[in-house]
Amino acid sequence: MAEDVREMILKSVRKDIALELLKKNERADGRSQYDYRKVEVQKGAVTTADGSALATIGGSKVLCGIKFDMMTPFPDRPQDGVFMTMAEFSPLASPMFEPGPPRENSIELARVVDRGIRSAEVIDTASLFIEEGKVLGLFIDMFVLDHSGNLTDTAALAAAAALADTKVPKVEDGAILWGQYEKEMKLPMKPVTSTFIKVGDKLLLDPILDEEYAADAQLTIGTVEGKVSCIQKSKNGCFTKDEVLEAIEVALKKGDELREFV
Amino acid sequence: MWKGDLLKIVIPGEMVWDTPKSVPHTYVEGGKTYAKVVGLMRDDRFVPLQVSYKPKVGDAVVGIVVDERGPGYMVDVNLPYNAVIPTRKVRIKLPISAAVFGKITFVDEVGNTDIGYVKELSRGKLVTVPASKVPRIIGKKSSMLEQIKKETGSAIFVGNNGYIWIVGGDMPLAIRAIDRIILKATTNGLTDDMAEWLHEEKTKKVK
Amino acid sequence: MGSAKDAPELIKDGKRVDGRTPEDMRDVKIEAGVLKEADGSAYVEWGGNKVICGVYGPRECIPKHEASPYKALVKCRYTMTTFASVEGHSRSGPNRRSREISKVLTEALESVVLANEFPKTQIDVDVIILQAEGGTRITALTAAMVALADAGVPMKDMISGVAVGKAGGVLCVDLGRDEDNYGESDIPVAFKSRSKDIVLLQMDGLLTKDEISQALDMAMAASEKLSGMQGEALRKEYERTERKESFRM
Repeated sequence: MAEDVREMILKSVRKDIALELLKKNERADGRSQYDYRKVEVQKGAVTTADGSALATIGGSKVLCGIKFDMMTPFPDRPQDGVFMTMAEFSPLASPMFEPGPPRENSIELARVVDRGIRSAEVIDTASLFIEEGKVLGLFIDMFVLDHSGNLTDTAALAAAAALADTKVPKVEDGAILWGQYEKEMKLPMKPVTSTFIKVGDKLLLDPILDEEYAADAQLTIGTVEGKVSCIQKSKNGCFTKDEVLEAIEVALKKGDELREFV
Repeated sequence: MWKGDLLKIVIPGEMVWDTPKSVPHTYVEGGKTYAKVVGLMRDDRFVPLQVSYKPKVGDAVVGIVVDERGPGYMVDVNLPYNAVIPTRKVRIKLPISAAVFGKITFVDEVGNTDIGYVKELSRGKLVTVPASKVPRIIGKKSSMLEQIKKETGSAIFVGNNGYIWIVGGDMPLAIRAIDRIILKATTNGLTDDMAEWLHEEKTKKVK
Repeated sequence: MGSAKDAPELIKDGKRVDGRTPEDMRDVKIEAGVLKEADGSAYVEWGGNKVICGVYGPRECIPKHEASPYKALVKCRYTMTTFASVEGHSRSGPNRRSREISKVLTEALESVVLANEFPKTQIDVDVIILQAEGGTRITALTAAMVALADAGVPMKDMISGVAVGKAGGVLCVDLGRDEDNYGESDIPVAFKSRSKDIVLLQMDGLLTKDEISQALDMAMAASEKLSGMQGEALRKEYERTERKESFRM
């Protein structure tokens, strides 16, 4: 309880100052409006996973691990493999995260990342068909290890890089041979996201934690090469149509910078 | 083990002196003194490098007012529990979310903390730093802090509790200067190094 | 324990499954101060185990009614990622095994943390097993100790330990995954670094009293090496000219 009140007050304190800085076109860490913080990606971080990547944007860190399992297909798509995306906001990542079942923000993040991957049809689900009633399923699990702002882009980057790192396991007699792989999963496109916040009337890309607190509205644009694959607007402020289009243009360009790391 | 006057880092449970001494962040057992936290041995003094802040009477603190109740104003001072400005001790009216600068006037064993000699600060930015780094940010005879104030033109209030309030001037530069001091806290000659860095950063901006 | 028909040969010509001798430990790498937000943190690689720990506190105890008027409550949570083990995808969330390990680790940490200096607060120690290969609870404890020291939580001493056991009929130090699964006995044990008091001890399998005594001696010697490594990691972090707040796996 006391923590929430404190957070609310700190938010208003931070918002005042973010607004003042932005009037002078300044961000607290010296970046310009549409700059990303330092990006680092380490593929193959976890050898027990079928694919993995540790993505770092500024101080934010997300580890994504991918595991296959034998599953039954959905009744309406009996020839297609399946995949599920999950995000866990570990308590060690932020003083604000409590242990327990997923809350709305981690569910929203997972679903947004999933949408970016699913819309672009990055995973060839037909190739995961094994035999009648059996398909391969992928679990794309993202663990947030450090929350210094903009977890969405960090998580989406980790997921894309983990997918690029993924190898499809060998299957024999309808069962997976653990630890043995048949081929690499080739990604036809690389899905990433670019998240903007609006403070006053300014759009900022890749908000650091303080800026997130100051934000009235937030907009995540998922892109693949040349196209938009998903959009999510959050928080209770609003955007004009022009602002959305500007964000899309920046996201397509900046997304390409992130794709270099996948 | 510590030998002579070498600079040495000790970890919890390591012996600091083989005689009993009453020094903060150490404890005595079997006639010897041991470290409770990671610290540095410098000139036969034990300097803790990383500690959670423990308030003591006389400490300067920066806080944010979070509530007003019977006993007084509840102030967030980066401790597990809020400190109190007793109503009888304050003549001005403080709004919620006001930033204040004051001194700790009372602390007890269960964490109750009172603040007095309070003044309200104007609109600015809150920066949180580890309490153990505060002496570095202030510097010998305030040399480091004065340098930053001069080069940025900002008014900077530093609390022993690890809260720093920055008003006006070149705020982003002040914040980055503080971040840099924390990252480089264990190096020697940091005051001169920061002087050079501040000068470089200001020149960059002008271009 | 795995089924006998899958069991690899645990000892052959005096060498273990991975080529080690009975006294050899796997390689250990420890880094302190690897996370930006946490008050203290550590990352440990121990053989094929990869573990991260973040500490917050002392901070307000939530829920308030659980707070002790005399001391800080130490809450250690042990969790694994869903992809930590080579076989298949695990379900996320606590299970009976992780809850037992959390309790055992919390009690080990309580024996050294000077909790009475921060009444009515809590100290959260979260350990995540990112990748597992036998001996995860000891790796978790190793990381937790370094993270607590990194957070500046006052402690009487550091703790270090190792899992010893019997594999292929021979007492061995630092059991690997196959030895953990198919061996005859597993004893995770941890000691206070200075006093050598035992703060964590579990055992399964069938052993004589003499075998246990011998195993504990082997564990004590191995733990001393570990303790040195923990100190080195902390020293290295504070000797750096710049705090890292990042890590590579």
